[in-house]
Amino acid sequence: MAAPKPQSAPEQPIAQTIGVSKSYKDDSGHERVVLHGIDFAVRRGETVAILGPSGCGKSTLLRILIGLIEPSSGEVREHGEPLRGIHPGAAVVFQNFALFPWLTVEENVRVGLNGRPLPVEETADRVAHAIEQVGLAGAERAYPKELSGGMKQRVGIARALVGRPELLCMDEPFSALDVLTAESLRAEVYRLWSDGETGLSSILIITHLIDEAVYLGDRIVILGANPGTIQREIVNTLPHPRAYRHPEFLRMVEEIHDIVTGVHLPEEPAPAGKRPSVGPIHPLPGARTTEILGLLEIVSDHGGQMDLFELDAITEYDFGKTITVVKAAEMLAFVDTPGDLVRLTDFGREMVAVDQPEKKLLFRKRLLTLGLFAAVIRLLAAEPDVARSGDDVKAFIGERLPGCAPADLFRTLIGWGRYAQLFHYDAQADELSLHTGRDRDD
Amino acid sequence: MRTPDTKPLRGVGGLAVDVLLVATLAALVGGVVVLAQRWNAPMRATTPIDLDPRALPGYTLLSLSRGFAAYLLSLVFTLVYGTIAAHSRRAEKVMLPLLDIGQGIPVLGFLPGLVLGMVALFPRSNVGLELACILMIFTGQVWNMVFSFYGSLRSIPADLKEVARIHRFGWMKTFGTVEVSSAAIGLVWNSMMSMAGGWFFLTVNEAFTLGDRDFRLPGVGSYMAVAIEKGDQRAMVWAIVAMATMILAVDQLLWRPLVAWSQRFRVEDLASSDKPQSWVLDLARRAPLVRRLHALRARLTERRTSRRAPAPETAAAEPGPAAAARGRGLLLVAAGVGAAVVAAWGVLRLLGLLASVSRREWLDLAAALGATFLRTAGALALAAVWTVPAGILIGRSARWSRRLQPVVQLVASFPAPMIFPIVTGVMLALRVPFAVIASVLMLLGAQWYVLFNVLAGASAVPHDLEEAAETYGMRGRERWKRLFLPAVFPYLVTGLITAAGGAWNASIVAETLAYKGRTLETFGLGSTITRATASANFPLLAAGVLTMSLALVLLNRTVWRPLYRLAESKYSLNR
Repeated sequence: MAAPKPQSAPEQPIAQTIGVSKSYKDDSGHERVVLHGIDFAVRRGETVAILGPSGCGKSTLLRILIGLIEPSSGEVREHGEPLRGIHPGAAVVFQNFALFPWLTVEENVRVGLNGRPLPVEETADRVAHAIEQVGLAGAERAYPKELSGGMKQRVGIARALVGRPELLCMDEPFSALDVLTAESLRAEVYRLWSDGETGLSSILIITHLIDEAVYLGDRIVILGANPGTIQREIVNTLPHPRAYRHPEFLRMVEEIHDIVTGVHLPEEPAPAGKRPSVGPIHPLPGARTTEILGLLEIVSDHGGQMDLFELDAITEYDFGKTITVVKAAEMLAFVDTPGDLVRLTDFGREMVAVDQPEKKLLFRKRLLTLGLFAAVIRLLAAEPDVARSGDDVKAFIGERLPGCAPADLFRTLIGWGRYAQLFHYDAQADELSLHTGRDRDD
Repeated sequence: MRTPDTKPLRGVGGLAVDVLLVATLAALVGGVVVLAQRWNAPMRATTPIDLDPRALPGYTLLSLSRGFAAYLLSLVFTLVYGTIAAHSRRAEKVMLPLLDIGQGIPVLGFLPGLVLGMVALFPRSNVGLELACILMIFTGQVWNMVFSFYGSLRSIPADLKEVARIHRFGWMKTFGTVEVSSAAIGLVWNSMMSMAGGWFFLTVNEAFTLGDRDFRLPGVGSYMAVAIEKGDQRAMVWAIVAMATMILAVDQLLWRPLVAWSQRFRVEDLASSDKPQSWVLDLARRAPLVRRLHALRARLTERRTSRRAPAPETAAAEPGPAAAARGRGLLLVAAGVGAAVVAAWGVLRLLGLLASVSRREWLDLAAALGATFLRTAGALALAAVWTVPAGILIGRSARWSRRLQPVVQLVASFPAPMIFPIVTGVMLALRVPFAVIASVLMLLGAQWYVLFNVLAGASAVPHDLEEAAETYGMRGRERWKRLFLPAVFPYLVTGLITAAGGAWNASIVAETLAYKGRTLETFGLGSTITRATASANFPLLAAGVLTMSLALVLLNRTVWRPLYRLAESKYSLNR
């Protein structure tokens, strides 16, 4: 680990947000809260990982920290001063590399020194040195399109480092790469930070992978979604260099797993009496019916009960996706999730056992207990001969569930409703009506 | 495909290429000088045209220089207009519909205003008339360039723009390295198309009548116009040869090299067999002169950067976003108010003109609209009937489509009105009534858009779908019905939309034809507009142009947009 620099007076964080919130209007004009009341700071000499499912606003938080996006409310500071424009000491590595396809490797790295008043020789030296540091010497004149994904991201890292930033921000930097390349690049980023040659003081990494957060982060901040808020902060004291298979590492991963699943699948108190016939209106997790059915099959094949972690490994989804599908199955009462376990309910077992037409019936039965479906059916049944436009229904959803993206919800609603043969949806005309049995839609 | 030889040329070969390059440059300079002399010459509305073929090279060069002047104007307009529209949400709301309207106005709608205005501005020299002609060519070029540039700017990945902000690119560097570079491929391609489109009305742009005043500028278009009027078939053929030579030369010497060069802006690498090639570019890259210039430029930039004074420490402080937004807002409001005043004045003038159009004339216009509608519909149907099977057949073979695409494109860029008299002559001999011939004439220009798009669509059919069709025993008609026709449908719609616009515009030159000393005419909106121009009946002209523009907008809304949406949602292969 980098030796912490000798400290004088209480030092101000390199970048900091105080009570920052961000909301924006989506396509249908509904206000959507992405981040809410975020107090966050990156200090000198530390590596911080922000961990959260997709859509929790973690990329937005990064962009607010370095001044690319202005917050709706709250304060952003750099070294204790209000941030004006772009953070002067930060550099960014992007998920999809963000290299200019028409510039060579060398020219792309040179972008990192744009506007710096440096003599020509020094510019050239620093560019050459940065390219060498990331192991790309010899590829200076190549264009990004000639490089593999891993090499592209090396260029992205060289571009970020060439300007000698104190804070290196990385937005899901390895998620577009294959697993092995990602692992080796992660190790290299750690090396570049720890050997002190780059002048880098701190690293901020945004990720949805627990492994990645535990590998790089000395502090791990867990974000929850809808709206994005900080749920927990964990100090990771495992010694560097960290090994993915080490028992301590695995224990840490599992601990965070529990926290994450606790955040996203809050344990419901056991229902006192019978379940109410129709529940309150909740947003639907964006899972497809095929994914839900697939999940039930997998769990059934593993004896009707599985560890969430194990399940995640089998599905090969990213973790947020696995959670979404489990959440959907739980909402439909096909599974229970005591702690880290995913367990089939009686309903779930029945669902796996019966054949297609009956699956649809069972599915329909479950849908009818969901508040959102009940509400939409009431809306459609008010005038059964008139088809409603998709926009009407989206607006209807938006009113009842502010803060959600109605378009996504609508897609899930249609997907589930079609499978259960509750709705008939004509995508061409954008018209939704109750399924009458007169016509088939598939 | 061959890989271009990149070895530098030496000896006699190198010298020859150098001489050619210098000669080309000299010819360009010469052309500009001649044009400038013409511009300064005293005003002469009607230049007598010499039908001797020996005069043609000069005329062709004059037309070419007008085309280039118009293109430069289009390019500047595109860069400015597209940038503003892409950067301001508010401006965009006004600027895009304006483009749509502009695209729909037929060139003759601009003619009287431009000519009378420009001639009034420069009453004593040829400048006014020349400018009017250039501006008319410009109105045939500019629209798709702006749409392409604006579209490219809007689809620049967000992270590239963020890189530009993080690393404090100034306005210029962002414009060059991010925006124009992202748009380069589309811009070059559309420039090529625009240049071709600009020639379409050349015979009208260089020779036209406005009431009792005849205007004629020396050029290959007016040469053709005079040849048609006199029924001089030999001269007609010469004009066609000259025009074809010019198009071929510009294609090979300018557009092919530019297209090949612009491939460096591609985001993903193409298979080398699909890479556009240009022998001219390959040759120029190997020429000793060009290599020496390259080396010189490299040395100069190095010296310049090393001597440049260091910039202040805090590199280009970004102005506060709020302040910048306020400044932009103010500018926009001012521009908006200005535009609104001009628009209001224009609308008032237009209403004043329209007030003197009689009820009878409106009724005539409505009938003419119907006639032209039927004619364009016929032309489009004819185009679809032959281009769909032909396009699918060619497009399915990778080899043939690669070979024929440039040819089709070259043929398409030849201005169809130049072969109108020949086609008309043949069909008249076959006793086809001119009312039908007019429809065929419209087809001549419009069909290529359809063919081009269908061809592209057929070559984009994924191979696995064809294999699936093969596996499940879909043969013959079945395969066409289930696979090829649905797969090319979106492309067909795109092609038809462009072709429809072209056909309506072409009605102006197709429904009236001065042929061998007499005027062939058939009832329709195009011929009504042409007659109104010739007799300087400005109210009727305004009413006719307005009717056509409105009809185009209406057709777009009621026919093309729904079809396009259907094509995108149901028949798109992208999802």
